[in-house]
Amino acid sequence: MTTAGKIVNNEIHLQSIHHQQTQPHQLHPPEHSDGEPETKKQEMPLDTSTYSLALLRLDGRRWNELRRIHAQINTQAAADGSSYLEMGNTKVLCTVTGPAEGRQAGQRGAKDNEAKVEVEIGFAGFSGLERRKRKSDKRTLEMQHTLSTAYSSLLLTHLYPHSTITLTLHILSQDGSMLAACINASTLALIDAGIPMSDYLVACTAASSATTSDSDNSDPLLDLNNLEEQELPFLTVGTLGRSDKVSVLICESRVRMERMESMLAVGIDGCKRMREILDGVVKEYGKRFS
Amino acid sequence: MPREVEISIIEREFIQNALQEGIRRDGREFDAFRPLELNFGDEYGVADVQLGKTRVIVRISVDVVAPPPERKFDGVFQIVTEFSPMASPAFEVGRPTDAEVILSRVLEKAIRRSNALDTESLCIIAGLKCFALRADVHIVDHDGGLIDASCIAVMAALQHFRRPDVIVEGEKATVLSTRERDPIPLSILHQPLSVTFSYYEEGNLFLVDADLAEEQVRQGEIIITMNRHGEICQVNKYGGAPVEPLDLLNLNNVALQKVKDISKFIQQKLDEDAKKRDAGGLMAELSAENAR
Amino acid sequence: MAPSQAAQVNLSPAELSFLRSSLSQTPPIRLDNTKGPRDFRSMVAEYDVLPSTNGSARIALDDGTEALVGVKAEVEKSLWRPNVEGRRALSIAAGDVDMTDDDKLESHDNKGKGQNSWIEISVEIPGYRDDDALPVFLASMLTESLLSSGELKDRLYINNRFHWKLGIDILLLSPPLSYPLALLSMTTHLALLTAHLPALKSEKDEDPLFDDDWDAAVPLYPKSDSSGGANVDKPPVIVLAMAVGPNIIFDPCKEELAVADAVLAIACAPSNASSTGPRIVSIRTIDPPSHLTPPAVPNAMNSATGGVAPASTAEALTQRELLSASGVWTPPRGGMKRDLIKRVSSMVVDKGGVAEEVIAALQAIEVG
Repeated sequence: MTTAGKIVNNEIHLQSIHHQQTQPHQLHPPEHSDGEPETKKQEMPLDTSTYSLALLRLDGRRWNELRRIHAQINTQAAADGSSYLEMGNTKVLCTVTGPAEGRQAGQRGAKDNEAKVEVEIGFAGFSGLERRKRKSDKRTLEMQHTLSTAYSSLLLTHLYPHSTITLTLHILSQDGSMLAACINASTLALIDAGIPMSDYLVACTAASSATTSDSDNSDPLLDLNNLEEQELPFLTVGTLGRSDKVSVLICESRVRMERMESMLAVGIDGCKRMREILDGVVKEYGKRFS
Repeated sequence: MPREVEISIIEREFIQNALQEGIRRDGREFDAFRPLELNFGDEYGVADVQLGKTRVIVRISVDVVAPPPERKFDGVFQIVTEFSPMASPAFEVGRPTDAEVILSRVLEKAIRRSNALDTESLCIIAGLKCFALRADVHIVDHDGGLIDASCIAVMAALQHFRRPDVIVEGEKATVLSTRERDPIPLSILHQPLSVTFSYYEEGNLFLVDADLAEEQVRQGEIIITMNRHGEICQVNKYGGAPVEPLDLLNLNNVALQKVKDISKFIQQKLDEDAKKRDAGGLMAELSAENAR
Repeated sequence: MAPSQAAQVNLSPAELSFLRSSLSQTPPIRLDNTKGPRDFRSMVAEYDVLPSTNGSARIALDDGTEALVGVKAEVEKSLWRPNVEGRRALSIAAGDVDMTDDDKLESHDNKGKGQNSWIEISVEIPGYRDDDALPVFLASMLTESLLSSGELKDRLYINNRFHWKLGIDILLLSPPLSYPLALLSMTTHLALLTAHLPALKSEKDEDPLFDDDWDAAVPLYPKSDSSGGANVDKPPVIVLAMAVGPNIIFDPCKEELAVADAVLAIACAPSNASSTGPRIVSIRTIDPPSHLTPPAVPNAMNSATGGVAPASTAEALTQRELLSASGVWTPPRGGMKRDLIKRVSSMVVDKGGVAEEVIAALQAIEVG
């Protein structure tokens, strides 16, 4: 038995183990169809031969389905660039200010010959299940650091010496895949701001579900919600546009190293689809100006 | 505000060109750690790690407190990092730099969140009393590789530490001094260790344990924490130049080998230390003869 | 961190002077010349934008400032409150109605049982820290006006042991282009107006149990049409007014604020009796940025243009006093006259005044 995802010669092969003939619609996320994925739990196929991959998740998705993704670009009139992104119930609003003269230009370790990317993430008090103020704890700081280093190398910062590009992210609703949603929203907002970058940076989460204790046979899952994130080992992977190259990879849970491959493969595949979706949003917006 | 001295352009190019020719600044192999030294203090739970010029001292201390109400059956375990200005002019007391935040976050995830320490064993009386363990990480000298060195130091110190024994009678707990009863080691569930890879040449060239100059030239870093059983505790790649996924998987194998080596090294040092403390063994203690 | 210059105005003394003189004319010519002194900026508003909150609203003004408010209610255990006893003792002492019977007290309405701490407001403004002066001041101003009516906090009472804790999170999504108080207040007003609490199914001092059906939820602010509309409470709304010369201008934009003589923030709530206009619940003066603008140097005081530079600051000051009418920009000094406050307040609260207009407009959003 093989794992579902394989990386062979740097090519991602996603193969459905049991059904070799995957339905074309199954490989496409439900946002191409209309409406949300069915929330009602469907009759679980009890035939064990197809169970491990036809398994429906808590919200009725299949293992390789993304949640409904809704994205808008240029939502804020006053910002240089802005975007709004929903991944299921995770909702993020991003605004970009700059490139502008920074408050502390040339300080704080910024190099003089390139722009500095500053990131500010604010969790709205109403974003979680319970109202809580979460400001500048270590986790948020780490997320800010991740975004700032990822975009510093992606944006063509050398075009804007002595300046600062500020990303402000408002998290309006949390339901898993926070970092991935922040990355995707930031990419859209930076495109809206017209800051040159080499390609889309898109991100996705992938998990490894342990249906059996046998570590060789675990199903990878794509795009986790909050419940799944708490239960399963998962990673966030961010890739650069159409290539398979990994720019961001954060894994915070304990997992066997053998499972990494399939998780990575599924995540990268998800990123590719994410890129298509975001690209569609940008092109749709661009049509207004043609 | 002090800043890290930036590496000069000539030095930068020298390192890059040398790497292209397959030579590191100090002549190491690409996948070699700097000479690692580990010393334990006179007290239990003090570990002094030197990785090349980088030096990290970790001290474990213990206290008895009331457990947090939401976790009645757990003890408290805390890792506190402190960057001393002594280590590098770029460090300032009271103002955490990005590097400090990341280090404490990585240690937190690597050791605390992966349950390296069985915190339940620190509970004395559920809901009333528990041990609060605190690991103070002092960066004494900074020459790159802080995360790897700190991780080694914390794990070695935890394994070296002995907590005092307690007697529980109903709701009353008595902590026994080390003279009354031998202190007992902590229950360590697994030993996560970090290996930081720095990469160059658009992700085609990976170095293990870069020193400060190499860190300043690198295009990105990948921090892999795993234990010697091949369980990944965390992987962090905060941006930087993109790399091929296959390389990432290969790094896991390299990391596993390194982690196995370091684990063995720590164990060997622990054994040596135990032997030293137990000079003469049980027989010497039991014998009536003394030095007079 | 948004650039800090968003908070300041970059206008030259000549521009400031021009703006001030055009605003002082009768009728004033505003920066947006299609608007009269009492006109507000046009806005786009929507409510119920966040499904995970009890009430939410988003308002975007046409200059790009945008605010989002989420109201979240959580059941919280009440602390033992000595003031309930104290109040009872007081009422007895005053020879009031005897209310020693516990059941009787409970069957009464919840008047006076609410606590100020049951409502928590936080304001988040990009580029500012939580403890910066602006967000703290805005939050306290909004809290103050909301608590002053007293009826809202009483409605959060569930029983002797439990109450609702209302968390109001106010997010300014854009940099603070103009003084955001009025916008935040209007957004909060709309969010509170449309907020609902689940219907209570349990009785008296039982652990509270609520109806799962969201359709059965009761509005936080009871609708007027159900009971004839005589005695309904509505959330307050804050109106910003500024004085320039003889004129009073409402909803000033950032540039207009830069030439203001004085700025007043007036919080109004609709009055209980339908015959009178809204009532003022709180009022504050706001230090306008015009006080910080640099003064112009008139030719007579500029040695480069043949004038004589004043020898001392005192001399400069007296010379400036003489120049006040000449159109050379001098930052306004001093506070507000009582007469001015009176004029502003009457414009706000009079029948058909500004406050009534605003409240009616926000009400129309919910109905429409």
